[in-house]
Amino acid sequence: MSTETYDVLIIGSGHSGGMAAKMLTEYGIRCIMLNAGPVADVTRNAERKPAYELQFRGFRPPGQIEHVFQSNGFNANIWVDEREVPYTLETDQPYNWVRVRLFGGRSLFWSRQSFRLSDYEFKAKSHDGFGEDWPISHTDLAPYYSRVEGIFRVTGAQDGVPQLPNGNFIPDDAPWTLALQRFIEVAKPRGIPVCKQRRAQGRDGLASSVNLLLPDAESTGKLTSIANAVVRELTVDKNTGLPNGCSFVDRLTHREMSVKARVVGLAAGTLESTRILLNSNLANSSGVLGHYLMDQVYGPGVLASVPDARKGNINAWMGSAAIVPRFRNINTKSDKFLRGYAINTTASVEAIPARNFAAYGAELQRKLDEYYGSGFYMTIMGEVLGRYENHVRLDKGRKDAWGIPVLHVDTKYTDNEFNMAKDAVETACELADAAGFEVLSKNDKPNPPGYSIHEVGTCRMGNDPKKSVLNKYSQSHDHKNLFIVDGAQFASSGWQNPTMTILALSMRASEYIAGEMMRQNL
Amino acid sequence: MRRRDFVRAALAVGAAPKFLLSQQAAPAPPPPEPVPWLLGLNSKTPMPHVEAAEQVATVELRFFPPQQMATLTRLSDVLMPPIGDKPGAVQAQTPMFLDFLIGSSPEERRQVYSRGLDWLDAESRKKFNVEFARITDAQAGELLKPWLRTWLNDHPPTEEHADFVNIAHDDIRTATVNSKEWFVAPQVGAEPKTEEELYWSPIQPDVTSQNAHSSGVQPHSRAIPPSGHRMPSYQR
Repeated sequence: MSTETYDVLIIGSGHSGGMAAKMLTEYGIRCIMLNAGPVADVTRNAERKPAYELQFRGFRPPGQIEHVFQSNGFNANIWVDEREVPYTLETDQPYNWVRVRLFGGRSLFWSRQSFRLSDYEFKAKSHDGFGEDWPISHTDLAPYYSRVEGIFRVTGAQDGVPQLPNGNFIPDDAPWTLALQRFIEVAKPRGIPVCKQRRAQGRDGLASSVNLLLPDAESTGKLTSIANAVVRELTVDKNTGLPNGCSFVDRLTHREMSVKARVVGLAAGTLESTRILLNSNLANSSGVLGHYLMDQVYGPGVLASVPDARKGNINAWMGSAAIVPRFRNINTKSDKFLRGYAINTTASVEAIPARNFAAYGAELQRKLDEYYGSGFYMTIMGEVLGRYENHVRLDKGRKDAWGIPVLHVDTKYTDNEFNMAKDAVETACELADAAGFEVLSKNDKPNPPGYSIHEVGTCRMGNDPKKSVLNKYSQSHDHKNLFIVDGAQFASSGWQNPTMTILALSMRASEYIAGEMMRQNL
Repeated sequence: MRRRDFVRAALAVGAAPKFLLSQQAAPAPPPPEPVPWLLGLNSKTPMPHVEAAEQVATVELRFFPPQQMATLTRLSDVLMPPIGDKPGAVQAQTPMFLDFLIGSSPEERRQVYSRGLDWLDAESRKKFNVEFARITDAQAGELLKPWLRTWLNDHPPTEEHADFVNIAHDDIRTATVNSKEWFVAPQVGAEPKTEEELYWSPIQPDVTSQNAHSSGVQPHSRAIPPSGHRMPSYQR
């Protein structure tokens, strides 16, 4: 039994927790990291199999993870089982909470798209009047973005588009394939920029906390980690009222334990960090804890076919990918929605899925043969507005497998998101038609909120303690030794994959913590 | 005694006590220790070869009643017949598999199939005066083709009847392509391939099966959004 008090307690081991551990331990600060799930060893826990050897021939096991559309029979066991850690919903308001509790969290499985936010996001209210500005700008975060991009080895081009700031990239000088050239030709006159994708290469194909961040922290000898530690709540010093550690439950044995630390950093993922705070009854003098839940609209899109690729010239026409950064409400103003969306664009060399043809049997197979390798995908990533009414709260009548009250999610998209989705699909169809591509399928209905796995907000940062949970250093307005370093601190969602921003904010907060500890302010 | 023999005997007498002593001090040879049985499970031990049960055993149906099963079997044969060397859905035992999959699924997914199969059979009887299970390919085409739609992943049609036809078509294709029968048949051209990926086993014993504390944990109360909502009402 230990009664040691650590310098910093880090709850969560994904990108945000891993970055905090790396930065703090490299400053010589002793950290203890708790993770709710086990360490995954791919050599022991995984093996290559054909679908027919699985219980459901590759289909998602029914009932286990109904909200994880990304799941299938192969990866079903990596996601949080919704029977163990349920959450409740409003009638008619679905929400997909997609969670991983393995050590490293979702950093093991992310898509690796690596974008910066621009001041169109940081200063969004100043631009269009809605919501709140962040208390920081791109200039404040740019040095941290650059360091993160270096660690994660991000490839990209210096496109020079204001809404997609340049960065510290491994140059992508590859020429566009012919399908993308055609696409750019029709996009440019419409004022729609087309940029090279920006993607973290990481090392050995993995850009995770477990291979890019945690090894550095462990090599300092300053990091202690515990697996299978399901945090029940933060504990509080009765004399100061400040958080001084946490109590947790062992996932397998259900033993109750606790750890002590001078500073607490929450990095459990947006909604899990907020759930811990709500269960701890901390950091909510503003009344906005749990509110302003945001994510990004995913699901709407268009699949077209490139006729020239069907003439036996797939390699010249197909095979590259592009990002169309937000172009609405930059220099013009839409009367249908605020903010905007990006379009992920891929000229695929793979087979087109059968559901894109209204045929069956031999006729369908002829179509599949003819259209093979000609698919041109355009899918959107749209900003969801931060609204007070979109929130999470505790459902005290429902507990998880460890007796911890679960979250109730009360959120829905509004006409702003639905109109944005329609505009995106109409625009993608217009571009496809102009390029001479054949539209095969389209969809303008968003997936349920949360599907993007880009949930942000609920502990937003701001300068006004009455309107925000955190200050500009990710530090609680209420408790000076409490920091939230994951996506919960976002003041607006943007259209961008949030990972680079989460990493940069965690790095910045960690250096602030280190400085304050050295100055003995913490 | 010759001198040489005397010397040899004297040396032998001098050496004998030490030799005899050493013989007396030596412990008895140890009995062979039992070999831990686990040592037999090493990398040279051949692993028993087993088959998937559904490949060799008779499957008991548990969800679809006989008439619905007959309709599903004919539907599977129509939508995914054998092509070239590749098996069709019936040869891949897809209808029996779908009985297991759909029977294990939430109520909303069960309803899509049960209502859809009943509707299809009723339409066949009304239009051709014959049950769907004995319909011709041309007659099946008349019934099915008006309902075929194109759609993107996670967004099947929500229109009544079109939802069933397109969802069932997608499920039948996936189940067939992912069957062993499809996997072992020669690949010719651009036919889809059986999915083959990294499978993650349960990484540590699951608390739901291990711990009494969680025995009362119920499945999610609102796993599926209701139909008629703007969100997709069916999850595959």
